[in-house]
Amino acid sequence: MVGRHRMFVRKRDGRIEVRLNDVGRAVAREAFGHVVAAERDPNHEWYVTLSAPIDPSSDQDDPVATLARQNETATNAELAVMTLNEEFLTDSEAWAWLSTLQVALRASAVANGLLSEDKLAACDPELLNFIRTLQAYLFELAECL
Amino acid sequence: MPRDESSGATTSDTDVITETIVVTKRPWNVVVWDDPVTPMSVVVVIFRRIFGYSVNKATQLMLTVHHEGRAIVWSGERDRAQTYCVKLQVAGLQSTIEQDS
Repeated sequence: MVGRHRMFVRKRDGRIEVRLNDVGRAVAREAFGHVVAAERDPNHEWYVTLSAPIDPSSDQDDPVATLARQNETATNAELAVMTLNEEFLTDSEAWAWLSTLQVALRASAVANGLLSEDKLAACDPELLNFIRTLQAYLFELAECL
Repeated sequence: MPRDESSGATTSDTDVITETIVVTKRPWNVVVWDDPVTPMSVVVVIFRRIFGYSVNKATQLMLTVHHEGRAIVWSGERDRAQTYCVKLQVAGLQSTIEQDS
């Protein structure tokens, strides 16, 4: 899908080159799109992960904190969507990609009950491929940041 | 009710004040929980970025999360703990806050 070459490369000028092909960018688009949708739709299967408790000892979290989380997550996801076709990312844009991909990775795993290595290994091959692809993107992006 | 002659406060008043101070001084912990899908290197990058930790400290905390299922990554005042917890959640890690026992 994404070839053997590096998918993300830090250049000397500090920018991060995105070497994903069209298919690779389509996977990122799917992940980013789901995060944007889940942030706005309480019925989205990823919404629960995006609204996890901050303080489990309380009946309700501080509304200011939950609003801040919603705003920051949406900002990152929207920035990632806006830069989806860019050849080079700034450090902030790459951080938005990493954060949004990581949110998508965890939300996808939680929504499908993949909370152990055994369940992950036994899950639907298409879903497993999606998760492994996100992990590969994250692994390389982390090396650049 | 006995009275402390030097300050005018009663013994009971002093006891209550002392007890209140102990309760409010207990720090709030930011806890990060393990999950089977997040790459280890991503956790290290997130800890460095959010807390400004060194590679060594971030790696040690990541390994604690991995081996023990959770790690306290920061302790202090509640407002800051809450802010850090939100930043970790925005970065995609499972995080909560709890008051130190």
